[in-house]
Amino acid sequence: MSIAIPSVARVANGAAPRRRPYGRRALAGYGFITPAIVFLIGFALLPFLFTVYVSLHDWNMLTAVTSMPFRGLDNYRYLIFEDPLFRQTFANTFVFAAGNVAISSLLALGVALLLNGEVRFPTFWRAVYFLPYVTSSVAISIVWANLYHPSYGLFNGILELFQLPGARFLASLETAMPSVIAVAVWHAVGYYMIIFLAGLQSIPLEVYEAAKVDGANAWHRFRSITLPLLRPTLLFVAVVNTLGSLQVFDLAFVLTNGGPVNATNTVVLYMYQTAFNFTRMGRASAMAVMLFLVILVITLVQLRLLREKE
Amino acid sequence: MRRKLRLTVVGIAILKYAGLALGAFFMLLPFAWMIVSSFMSAAEIMARPLRWLPAELQLRNYEALAAAIPLGNMYANSLIVTISITVGVLLTSSLAGYGFAKFHFPGRDILFVLVLATMMIPFFVVLIPIFFLVRQLGWMDSYLGLIVPNIVTAFGIFLMRQYMLTLPDELLDAARIDGASELAIYWRIALPLAGPALGALAILAFVYHWNSFLWPLVVIRSRELATIPIGLNSLRVYASSPEVINLQMAGAALAIIPVVAVFAVLQRHFVRGIALTGIKG
Repeated sequence: MSIAIPSVARVANGAAPRRRPYGRRALAGYGFITPAIVFLIGFALLPFLFTVYVSLHDWNMLTAVTSMPFRGLDNYRYLIFEDPLFRQTFANTFVFAAGNVAISSLLALGVALLLNGEVRFPTFWRAVYFLPYVTSSVAISIVWANLYHPSYGLFNGILELFQLPGARFLASLETAMPSVIAVAVWHAVGYYMIIFLAGLQSIPLEVYEAAKVDGANAWHRFRSITLPLLRPTLLFVAVVNTLGSLQVFDLAFVLTNGGPVNATNTVVLYMYQTAFNFTRMGRASAMAVMLFLVILVITLVQLRLLREKE
Repeated sequence: MRRKLRLTVVGIAILKYAGLALGAFFMLLPFAWMIVSSFMSAAEIMARPLRWLPAELQLRNYEALAAAIPLGNMYANSLIVTISITVGVLLTSSLAGYGFAKFHFPGRDILFVLVLATMMIPFFVVLIPIFFLVRQLGWMDSYLGLIVPNIVTAFGIFLMRQYMLTLPDELLDAARIDGASELAIYWRIALPLAGPALGALAILAFVYHWNSFLWPLVVIRSRELATIPIGLNSLRVYASSPEVINLQMAGAALAIIPVVAVFAVLQRHFVRGIALTGIKG
């Protein structure tokens, strides 16, 4: 790539002198990218390095940046070995991510398959399933918290009409996390459905017709045509869904604020509490770094796993 | 034989529409109940067996809501902040995307790798440093604090660069021969041709920042600057007694209905935008 650049530039510049292979247009190039690059360095790259730096220190945001006491890996050691709540939020986050990724991806694929064939009113169905995705997670969390309300909620009201026992949903240790996952699935399923639909529509119809002629039934066609050709889409959905799920904050904060007794507390929520309620920036930063590393590893593994099978 | 086949086809169709309808019922139920119960009295919400409709529309709920949270401010703040961020993102992304796609200069590839690397940094990782930075800059509790940290995204640059790569060089060179300045070529030729990508990015950025919660939650202190999610969240802290359930539902309805209206009009573009970024991403 880098070898090709000078020669291309020379062709583009025509009679440009050899001493300046990039010419004045290089300056214009820098001009176009400079605002964005400066911002990315200032608001992403340096802050990232700063998080790593703070994670090795004790800091309450009041002492000067230059004089925060160095603690080495002590924040990490404390969180991993001495803070059961951190381990619990980590486990909660994984349970949430696993449940949400599996259920929302499968449902999204199912709906996309139903909508991909001949269907009346495709726009209507698509819109209905996609609708929750465009709405504010805070607004829908408030609505769902009320639907789940043990005494006044719609769900227990309906169960009572059928003379079924009510559930405590967000209020009980056992059902709180599944209830949060249900909201997350409801919120995001339409987004992944749209992506699956786009993937399905990029599979040429001729392949299916050829398979039909060869006598392959619907299940065979799904197994040996749709799934393999959908692999890039599956990969994208798996990665994006996992990335987003491991960072869950809004739902946990608004639906339950991590409760009951931290049953739905997640790493990002615990990080927020540690940083902004208890001003322990070092510890919060160490949490951020650890979750970041886990996300990075999982993403790389997923990319690897799904690529290999191609 | 043929009749049996037709019966199977009809059976499959029935199953298909039954499945779709059942799913649609669950997707719409929360919205329907939100609207219905926003017009109910507290007694009706508490009533068992369940009441499906209010005896009379309790418009008082909306009046009480308007007294409890600064609705006008919330809408104005959300609009100002989201539009500013979206315009900023479109501008910086298209400028940088164009620069990366159509110019050759030393260090270009390394700088683009830097863009890709920052794409891998989730927001929560930089939350504390950006909070600190914004506080040092004196932007706490201000529009600047809400807007500025968000006006550049690596994803936007990546998306625009991929799209700008497809623009024909001949067109740009023809304009250069005609003596157009580089900025004029970007503004008059590249930008209009990048319409579909700009549209997709605009929709994604708008929806994301309109609904954004974590960043406003740490930056905003004063009631007057609350965005819609922040204002709604302040209703939550009362804890759900029946007296506030209808109020909360009214608030959620007012937050959701405008978005749904916009979505209904622009549905096709939403879907195309998501699909575009899904495939490219």
